[in-house]
Amino acid sequence: MKTPYRPRVARTFIGQYRPRIDAMEKASGRARYADDIASPLRVPGMAYAKVLRSPHPHARIRSLDTSKAEALPGVLGILTYKDPEVATLKPTNAGWTDGVDTVSYETMMWRRFKDRSVLGDYACWVGDEVGAVVAAESEQIAEEALRLIEVDWEVLPFVLRAEEAMKPGAPVLHPEIAPQNVMPEDEVGGPHRFVDKGDVERALADAEVVVEGKATFHNTTQNSLDNWCCLIEWQDDQLTVWSNSYEAEQTRSHISEMLDLPLHKVRVVSSYVGGQFGRGDTGDQPFFLFTALMARKVGRPVKFKHTRHESFHDGRQQTTYTARFGAKRDGTITAASFHCIGNAGAHADHTMFPLKFAPKEVAEVALAHVPNVRFEAYGVYTNRVPACMMRGVGNSQLNLILGHMVDLLAERLGRDPIDIALQNFGHEWAPLPNDSLVAVLQKGAASIGWKEKRHLPGHGPSYDGTRRRGVGFSCHPAWHAEWQELRRGEVQVGITVNPDGTIILDAPTVETGTGSNTCNVLGCAEALRFLGVSPQDIHWESVIDTNTSSKDCVQTDSAVSFLQSEVMAVAAREVRQRILERAADALQLPAADLDVVDGRVFARGFPEEGMTVRQLLMRPPLVPIVVKLSRRPLAEQTGVPFIATFAEVEVDTSTGHVQVLHMVVVNDCGTVMFASGAEAQQIGGQTIGVGEALTEETIYDQATGIPLNFNWIDYTIPTMADMPEIDPVLLEVWRGGGEYGACGIGEGTVTCAPSAILNAIYNAVGVRIDELPAKPEKILAALEKARGGL
Amino acid sequence: MTRNDHTKRGESQRRRFVRITVNGREHRFETNRDIAPGMTLASLLREKLDLTGLKVACDEGACGACTVLMDGRAVLSCMILAEEANGHDVLTIEGLSKDHPVIQAFAEQSEPGYGTALQCGYCTPGFVMASVALLRENPQPTMEEIKEALSGNICRCGCYAGIARAVLHASEMIAARGGQA
Repeated sequence: MKTPYRPRVARTFIGQYRPRIDAMEKASGRARYADDIASPLRVPGMAYAKVLRSPHPHARIRSLDTSKAEALPGVLGILTYKDPEVATLKPTNAGWTDGVDTVSYETMMWRRFKDRSVLGDYACWVGDEVGAVVAAESEQIAEEALRLIEVDWEVLPFVLRAEEAMKPGAPVLHPEIAPQNVMPEDEVGGPHRFVDKGDVERALADAEVVVEGKATFHNTTQNSLDNWCCLIEWQDDQLTVWSNSYEAEQTRSHISEMLDLPLHKVRVVSSYVGGQFGRGDTGDQPFFLFTALMARKVGRPVKFKHTRHESFHDGRQQTTYTARFGAKRDGTITAASFHCIGNAGAHADHTMFPLKFAPKEVAEVALAHVPNVRFEAYGVYTNRVPACMMRGVGNSQLNLILGHMVDLLAERLGRDPIDIALQNFGHEWAPLPNDSLVAVLQKGAASIGWKEKRHLPGHGPSYDGTRRRGVGFSCHPAWHAEWQELRRGEVQVGITVNPDGTIILDAPTVETGTGSNTCNVLGCAEALRFLGVSPQDIHWESVIDTNTSSKDCVQTDSAVSFLQSEVMAVAAREVRQRILERAADALQLPAADLDVVDGRVFARGFPEEGMTVRQLLMRPPLVPIVVKLSRRPLAEQTGVPFIATFAEVEVDTSTGHVQVLHMVVVNDCGTVMFASGAEAQQIGGQTIGVGEALTEETIYDQATGIPLNFNWIDYTIPTMADMPEIDPVLLEVWRGGGEYGACGIGEGTVTCAPSAILNAIYNAVGVRIDELPAKPEKILAALEKARGGL
Repeated sequence: MTRNDHTKRGESQRRRFVRITVNGREHRFETNRDIAPGMTLASLLREKLDLTGLKVACDEGACGACTVLMDGRAVLSCMILAEEANGHDVLTIEGLSKDHPVIQAFAEQSEPGYGTALQCGYCTPGFVMASVALLRENPQPTMEEIKEALSGNICRCGCYAGIARAVLHASEMIAARGGQA
């Protein structure tokens, strides 16, 4: 059922169903991305860089001979790990920032884990960037040159599974950091047992009911269509970067700090980005550094771009959770204990974010009413592709076990899992049941037809003898409310009112597809209603240039959709005041006696007199009104709203195939900033959610450690033909601080889907799949086991 | 065959010209000078004619982002060698009129319940061209036919519901204008 959401407060522009501001630019193919800008027609003399990649999961370079490669016509230069400008680079990681704040080398988020050497001699995953980088007249020549580099590899034993890597005697990747591959405790992530409230063991011993469950989230990947790309020019002492990093200011800081250049000599330009989904391009990727050094070496602009295969070099961290819940017979959860092992791959980077940072927040805003809670997590190095940040980071993994445990407990108690969730989940700033969760679950249940379709596990209606249907759900606290964005520091916004009354909006953020640009323009129009402007009178600049733009508000946590608008609401008051002061001068009246409404300034009580704002500002010397404002997010702790996904599936018990028939995605947003964009996020997130649940999986050859399916033929992303009917439901129940009191929603839309689908599969056929993806062979094996077979 | 083999074979070939009509205009390219051996039609269009609407996201025919029309049929320009396009008529998104119903429908989709038809926009030109080809062949497709025709294109932002609505709307617009896609 497609029903538009109902806003809690009537507003003029905020909350609209309308096209995106960049819709025509993108629909007509005119929007330019990094790869379009770094085009040989636009950048004469551009060279192409390619980096040597390890064919082994674990190896060290004994020696390397580049002479044949250097002799290849068209090769412009080769840098190796022995060149002083490479060898003297500081150890680093790609965990400088989670994108909420912008940091220096000293203050990088995961400073305990500097396990990356830029272009070093030590490879610890297949595809690792090591040893040498080549620049040539074309990509093909650069690739050919790489093949001509003779490498003497010392091949080392490798390990792919976290459980094996933890055993004594396993190959060790970074002995100086983790002698047994288990990453040490650090000051940001905290101890291994990072939440320990009450007395969990005692509460479990005393519990009337105890349930135990396990859930393994696999190593999927973001799959942004826009492959990582940068173009770097280094002329004299000025370095310029064009890239599809989604964090311009952090890219500048990273390059400045690592190459020891003053900030004003590093200019970063970011245009449209073709999808982000958490991919780790916060500007801290080592390729920026070797591309920059190469640009200096060859004295030409140098382009470095990943192939599709190479764009699989990031993803979601694989986690295995085990959990124990203790409860009273009435359904009250008295103890919740979680144990998690994370397979980080070859580098730590943000490992502790999904393992500790995100779950700690969830414990605070969802499990506040559970008296005894324990979380324990271990990040483990293995020789797989390093993976951590992906849309729904940490929350997707945690929700898989959370949804599983709620379903288990409900079954044990003969209760509806919706009631178990309502009885127990909520934050500390409001009593149980939580208003937001009540609204979200009631609406979701009604839309999916929960009462009619939910049945005892495996006892649903059968179709054609082999197909069975079931429904399931999972819920989660949303993130991020304004108070959770404090670490971001000041958010900067500039508003320029041109003499003709049109607006230039300086609210920089890299547009990765989230639609925050449209939220910004709607927020600006809303805040400047007194000028009589509408969205088409406002220009939002899509290209960020660190030399001229304000600091970009980083496109993370889906929070840009409201953070900049909150600042605009304040900045607009300053604009108003400045206009009244100008009018006071023009009308020879005290500013305090004047008013401005719908683009007219006049003395209060005499709206028919006065002048238009345009008449006022068009008076020579035509100086625009410029207001720039920086404001920190509000610290008021308002809790968070809740989200839920409901799914109906059909399982073919003869083939194991699962078809998702219908999904309902419910988000309490606080305030809907841009309804069409929000619904696009709700619907769109399910492509990742359904893919992760059923088909997407990176596969390694266990014998060689080589990844086998880093392409879109063998790694199957859902297409239009695979996706079910999805009902997006927007609610405004909870409210944060500030003018709008909104909350980021986009990131979380992927979080509950896998758990909802697994619970629906259980409801349909009565077998639990506790390891993603739920591929047919797993379903068939589980059905066979349940029948008492092998 | 490796790219190296392509190179050697290419160098030994005689110089010749490749003529391709792109968006109504004939272009002439010289092999080995304008067209490197193994160069795809996608690379030629992007790098020699600056037609950067089409995107190369997979470079192996798996995502549809590089879709263009060749002699009226949707093709994956990353899977066609530039030389193979010799004598053919190619239409890219830049060759569509600004008020083309498919472009308009993709841009305007905001019907409640379906989201927008695009977010990051990277796959959009490919979807637009695949939709144009579909509507030329089948001006009033059913939802099943739309899904079938567009299931070779990947949208990781997941705007499939909005895209399907846009194609239906484009179909209505085309019918109302009494014309062809």
